[in-house]
Amino acid sequence: MNANEISVKDVMLTTENFPVINKNTLFKESLEHMNKTNLGIACVVDERNKLLGIITDGDVRRNLLKVQKPISAFFVDDVVSHCVKNPITILPDDKLNYAVKIMGEKKVWDLPVVNNDGILVGLLHLHQAIKKLLEKDI
Amino acid sequence: MSYKRKEKIITVGYGNVNKVTVGGLNPLIFIGGPCAIESQEHSIKMAELIGKICEKVGISWIYKSCYDKDCRSSPESFHGLGIEGGLKILEKVRNEIGVPVVSDFSDPAWAEKTGEICDMVQIPAYLCRQTSILRSAAKTNRPIHLKKGQFMSPWNMKNSVQKIESNGNSQIILSDRGTFFGYNMLVNDMRCFPIMAETGYPVCFDATHSIQLPTSMGNISGGQREFIPYLVRSAVACGVNALFMEVHDDPDNALSDSNTVLHIDMLQNILYQAKEMHEMRLELSKKYEE
Repeated sequence: MNANEISVKDVMLTTENFPVINKNTLFKESLEHMNKTNLGIACVVDERNKLLGIITDGDVRRNLLKVQKPISAFFVDDVVSHCVKNPITILPDDKLNYAVKIMGEKKVWDLPVVNNDGILVGLLHLHQAIKKLLEKDI
Repeated sequence: MSYKRKEKIITVGYGNVNKVTVGGLNPLIFIGGPCAIESQEHSIKMAELIGKICEKVGISWIYKSCYDKDCRSSPESFHGLGIEGGLKILEKVRNEIGVPVVSDFSDPAWAEKTGEICDMVQIPAYLCRQTSILRSAAKTNRPIHLKKGQFMSPWNMKNSVQKIESNGNSQIILSDRGTFFGYNMLVNDMRCFPIMAETGYPVCFDATHSIQLPTSMGNISGGQREFIPYLVRSAVACGVNALFMEVHDDPDNALSDSNTVLHIDMLQNILYQAKEMHEMRLELSKKYEE
């Protein structure tokens, strides 16, 4: 298999391996989930696992500066209040080269992977993507 | 404004009593009665009097009176008739008048019996974060009137809500009864209604406890009744779904909260105003959105 044949699904993290958070989870609990991995991102979903948004370390920083209320009130907000809605996503069968190109253009480190119904199936992290491509000696 | 969860509609009343529906675009409801159950005769009389006024005004209502006042300032103050006698009287009120009833309870061991009789159970404000109380209330499977503690922020009520939900009950009405402002003084932060409404549950304004001056008179609480109409209008304009007021036919001789209970002669005009303001608010929020 050459580099052009690698699909996103061959490299993506499956949903057990990155933070997937229900929309009504408290913001503070969401940060605790994010601390369990070192990815700097969590995906926010509804009860059907449909992707609603993402929250990254950068979003947390921006929200801390923007939200004009006590930190104790900020902490008990539902995470969906502060996530980025309609993030850029990619399909599992999309090619890895294409995904990395999108990441470069949009200046993002991660792409949530959703199926045609918008259900979250994985996360493509730039680190794993580059590692795989380097293995193929492109 | 943060994300607001889907609005929940709560229905209070089982068996043959009137069903009272609260929340969302439903009309304002009233929760009221004497603070403490004083006697069967007095309870029936008050329920009849309040019922007539509510019928005239056209507002659904729930009768509130408590059998055990565990948070009185003084050990000498009237503590209540007790759970057995008190619940019998509340059962009589609901059967004879056909109105749903609510009482608070201060001990987890009293929850089950309270829920067997009462259409709704109430959590006293001072106990609003006690896990054992909230768990026992949830297990009654009745709607729960949860009062925000005077020491609690409105956003932290979400923790109390979660304690109830995690025990399988999602029928809650959240109430504000004032927030401590220094010693012996309460103020109403009107922001607490939209903040508590973010949980999706109906919100209620407890007008008569909000004007309380807690334990300001040494061994009892004082109060400033003159502010009730102003605060009611403000809270209804702020979007409450329910109005709570303790009502008595002889406040000076009421056995509990005599400095804050509303004289029944004042009830009709306040309810008329509250109802009309609530209708206007719904119209305005449809017209201009919130």
